[in-house]
Amino acid sequence: MDTQFLVSLTIILATFALYIGIAIYNKAKATSDFYVAGRGVPPIFNGMAIGADWMSAASFIGMAGTIMLLGYDGLAYIMGWTGGYLLLTFLLAPQLRKYGRYTVPEFIGDRFDSHTARVIAAVITIIISFTYSIGQLSGSGVVIGRLFEIDAKLGTMIGVVLIAFYAAFGGMKGITWTQVAQYIILIIAYLIPVIFMSLQITGNPMPWLSYGELVGKMGELDRELGISEYFAPFTNGTKWQFLALMFTLMAGTAGLPHVIVRFYTVSTMKAARWSGAWALLFIGLLYLSAPAYAAFSRFILMTKVAGSKISELPAWTKTWVDTGKLQVADGNGDGILQWSELVISNDIVVMATPEIANLGVFVIGLVAAGAMAAALSTAGGLMIAISSSFAHDIYYRVLKPNSTEKKRLSVARWSIVIATLFAGLIALNPPGAITQIVAWAFALATGTFFPALVLGVWWKRSNAKGVIAGLLVGLGVTLTYIFAAKYGGFTILGIIDTGAGVFGAAAAFLTNIIVSLSTEAPSQKIQEEVIDLRYPEQMVYKNGEVWMNDGTKEL
Amino acid sequence: MKKIDKEVADRYFRERTRNIIIYFIVWFLVSFGVVFFAEPLSQYSINGFPLHYFMGAQGAVITFIILLFVNAKLSDNVDKKYGIDESKNEQISSGKVFEH
Repeated sequence: MDTQFLVSLTIILATFALYIGIAIYNKAKATSDFYVAGRGVPPIFNGMAIGADWMSAASFIGMAGTIMLLGYDGLAYIMGWTGGYLLLTFLLAPQLRKYGRYTVPEFIGDRFDSHTARVIAAVITIIISFTYSIGQLSGSGVVIGRLFEIDAKLGTMIGVVLIAFYAAFGGMKGITWTQVAQYIILIIAYLIPVIFMSLQITGNPMPWLSYGELVGKMGELDRELGISEYFAPFTNGTKWQFLALMFTLMAGTAGLPHVIVRFYTVSTMKAARWSGAWALLFIGLLYLSAPAYAAFSRFILMTKVAGSKISELPAWTKTWVDTGKLQVADGNGDGILQWSELVISNDIVVMATPEIANLGVFVIGLVAAGAMAAALSTAGGLMIAISSSFAHDIYYRVLKPNSTEKKRLSVARWSIVIATLFAGLIALNPPGAITQIVAWAFALATGTFFPALVLGVWWKRSNAKGVIAGLLVGLGVTLTYIFAAKYGGFTILGIIDTGAGVFGAAAAFLTNIIVSLSTEAPSQKIQEEVIDLRYPEQMVYKNGEVWMNDGTKEL
Repeated sequence: MKKIDKEVADRYFRERTRNIIIYFIVWFLVSFGVVFFAEPLSQYSINGFPLHYFMGAQGAVITFIILLFVNAKLSDNVDKKYGIDESKNEQISSGKVFEH
């Protein structure tokens, strides 16, 4: 038990106490005014909550490391995970809000008036959220593994217990304000090390302005070492892979059930637009800093760590080697660690850099707490998406419409526990790096929900048969491509597994349109409901006319 | 309830749609457009960054944020122009939520 362990643990426990305190405080107050209209969370705080829900272990722990290792090619994640908010806020969120349902499968089931579509959408929600949560669990494994200086696998198991407990008991309550706190913790934890490193290396406290120089300098160092320059485009994949991955991440953002659900909690279409804008501002703060984090980490590793004697490596190397995510092997036996002999996993760059840069026990503890906040807040949202799909959309609305409130709640809790344990089992031997696993979840959302929702909201002619065929074909094409590319080495234009969504989406759009057009049109009522989504709440479309609701009745 | 001219309602929808199409064109150019021309753009530099790297790491993200706020503000203006009252919207939407 060293000082570092005690400091990290204290900070993590203190932040946990804060989250639980907020959850209890808000629950007690909320019961009294639960049904009072027009008291939604203000868009600016809803934006923070969306930010915490959104920024997962992949963003916090994995992204900077991915950019560090991939260079320019890693920026597809930055543009993809931010640009998707335009698709979501312009094309879907306000309209889905006006339609007024609780979950994505519920929208699909009611818009297309089909239980089959509802069940398929619920199953796809479970598949997507489940894949995504594998990434969160292996992320929490990295944090806990470092904290207790144990293997990341053992850390994952501890994380599973924590997340199952947190989501099953805490997650069911009004968690919005907890997520506001989690956002604040995680953004502070992310910015402090970047700002310190910027001061240490460049003397400028504004990392966003100062790291440009470093990017150029590293290009020179790379040329001397005879490896490709840090900023050179398309060194780790083709240009088409970059574009396909970026599209997949953008469209997936607009189709992720646990993100869309957040827009149901705002009061109006206008509030949905402002929430989207605030959310991206808060998210952007981290995403603008991640490439800076990556550049500083790489610069420190290249100039301060590489080139030192193997026997004199600082203490931090040992603790990270123990987690199994760092290798320092003197390949050519000259007693000196070369840049090429240092193998660092994407997933530990953010966690290890504060130690490497010697930023002090407090900052290191804070980063651990921030990473836990990121993993927990997203895992909470994902688990609720899984349990609501099962307990609400499948169990209650299809299987047992007469079940009691109590019975439904216990079904929801058990589905969380089972899903977490099962995801944890897979996370013990993660099939890829955190960002890569998460990218598969996005590919699945791009190939299924994105086409179904866009056509459902904007094209009144899309019908139940079209959406069912589209969802199934999109899911099939995306899954097949992921497996064929990852395990079979099959690629088109160099597009690998993470860019699979582009094929899934194209197939799903085509199938939906062709099948819809060759079968009968939806009922008049459904078509009118779809046109109604073009207008704000106060304007109502009925019988081919638009009406303004000015408070007087009669229609 | 008061009937609105079909033409007025259509104009509302067209105005909103036209703005969104403009935003998407800008969105496409700063992300996909820049990536597509990354090699030629890498000769230029801005604030120490090669231009293509700057756009990927900062320029595109900042443009996205600005577009979202411009949309939120201009949509409010369009709503106001057509006499939409947000407090009415809140009443209507809280009454319309599907209860189970």
